[in-house]
Amino acid sequence: MAIQTPDRVVPDTVAILADTNPPRRPRRRRSISWGAYLGLAPLAIMLGVFCYYPAASGIFHSFWNWNPGGESTFTGFDNYATMMSDQLWWESFKNLGIIFLFGVVSWVIPLAAAELLISLRSERAQFVYRTLLIVPMAFPGVVTALIWSFLYQPNDGVINTFLKSVGLDALAQNWLGDPHLALISLLFIGFPFIAGLPFLMFYSTLQNIPKEIFEACSLDGVNRIQRLFLIDLPLMGRQLQLLLVLVIIETLQYGFVAYILTSGGPDNATTVPVLHMLSEAFNGGNWGYAAALSTTLFVLTVVFSTIVAVAKRRDSTTNVKGM
Amino acid sequence: MSAATIEAPSRQPRTRVRRRRSGAPIHIALIAIVAVGLLPYLFVLTTSVKTNEQFATSYWAPSFPLHFENYATAWNQIAPFMLVSVVVAAISIVGIVALSLLSGYVFARFQFPGRRFFFTMVIALLMVPSIASLIPLFVMMRDLGLLNTLWVLIVPRIAGGAVLGTILMKTFIEGIPQELFDAARVDGAGAGRLFRSIMLPLSLPVVGTVSLLTVIGVWNDFFWPLLTVTDNALKPVSVGLLFFRGQAGTDYGAMFAGYMIASLPLLLLFLFLSKYFLAGIQGGLPGSH
Repeated sequence: MAIQTPDRVVPDTVAILADTNPPRRPRRRRSISWGAYLGLAPLAIMLGVFCYYPAASGIFHSFWNWNPGGESTFTGFDNYATMMSDQLWWESFKNLGIIFLFGVVSWVIPLAAAELLISLRSERAQFVYRTLLIVPMAFPGVVTALIWSFLYQPNDGVINTFLKSVGLDALAQNWLGDPHLALISLLFIGFPFIAGLPFLMFYSTLQNIPKEIFEACSLDGVNRIQRLFLIDLPLMGRQLQLLLVLVIIETLQYGFVAYILTSGGPDNATTVPVLHMLSEAFNGGNWGYAAALSTTLFVLTVVFSTIVAVAKRRDSTTNVKGM
Repeated sequence: MSAATIEAPSRQPRTRVRRRRSGAPIHIALIAIVAVGLLPYLFVLTTSVKTNEQFATSYWAPSFPLHFENYATAWNQIAPFMLVSVVVAAISIVGIVALSLLSGYVFARFQFPGRRFFFTMVIALLMVPSIASLIPLFVMMRDLGLLNTLWVLIVPRIAGGAVLGTILMKTFIEGIPQELFDAARVDGAGAGRLFRSIMLPLSLPVVGTVSLLTVIGVWNDFFWPLLTVTDNALKPVSVGLLFFRGQAGTDYGAMFAGYMIASLPLLLLFLFLSKYFLAGIQGGLPGSH
């Protein structure tokens, strides 16, 4: 049983007062200790039943030909063997790779916006621009997806109507219906990609760089572009690493936008692991196989999350406390 | 710049720096980025007050008279979904706040064997993506006979929300000076009284963050309600909108009015609580970055 000791040195005069405490402490701790377990019981039950049990059940049943409500048979690694030779599964990971790469390249715009923003002298102007830039974040994801699905519509859609009105009829496309364009169309949702975590992280990191550094730079004649590469980016190294892993985790869970706009089509051009997993379970009834796919996604996420946790522990300027 | 600094008398460089930094090019670039980002939403907003004829004749420009009855039409269809989301969010908030306040308090203020172990077990859940346990959770809910009820939306959300909630609460409560607790204890307050009179009022900022996160979560959750609720009367707003789009067909005015109504609660929260909103998105407490 750990007893909390006061970390400050108690002066002699106070020592007499402090003396009255120690004998009472252990007694109180012991009686409170049971209360502590009682206090944690509701949380333990909730997390045990609705978080730990499903996760464990998913891993367990990934080794079974799972037939919920009926007879399940143990199949060992069969589901994972099927996964290895599942063409669509690997194709969905290829799409994830493209989504990830595009995501990272698209940081250029939030980075540029953050740089422009901190170049503003007036705090008020910074606040106004920052707020306007991130307003799209406040819209529910489903609404943004539905709005963009309208922008991409072949007949009444904004993009094609615009192209036709400026005489570029030839460029009008069936954006989401063409297997060659569907994925890239999905990726452009949310353009110019400001409203998101990367922008907020870039901006807050740049804000935290001491003004003296910038002043020293301008005295030495470092121009804006040089400063970006010599000062800002190196100072952002930690944040960039963290962001990279966060984007990997986010990408692994990518799915609802593709579901709303293309449902993985056309011709499976926009299928992603999450959609494949759901269709195996809910359309194909292959619950055991879907559990194996979900376990794979889970393991990948845990691996990358562990990297984040380690990185955060080393980094004193993290945002998430208590880790 | 450096040449100017050397040549000019002492007051000159400052004004030059200012003139250069608050230059028009930066404003133009920022305005352009803002415009591109907001244009889709503005288009939807202007179209939401058009009839189909107005939409056909003036696609881009706002067209008068404004037809606010689109909003009435949309509201009639969207309102039940909104109500479900509000109810789910409200009950979830109560559950999450109660659970995480209590557990955060225990973790922060009591010493007992296994304290570290239990807290690690809570933190570890941050790594479990909701999508990974979706299928086993679905099977479990089906076995419990909870599909197509409000509880299937509420209970897993409480469990999920209590994870981050407990971590935030514990951190926050640890930051409250021990002296406050000691003073109250000297005055004869028991554990329950400490909880009610010190903890509860002081932890309101965290309660705010947790509540906001819950609302955002309910409004954005998609696959879970899509799979577990097929009864239209129990669909929350995220899934309900999809159904609504199907119903609206090509009546774009009403369709977009519906999108706007569905977004309004989050927009208002963003407007008035942007500090908490951003903190929530970055997974922390307001003022921690």
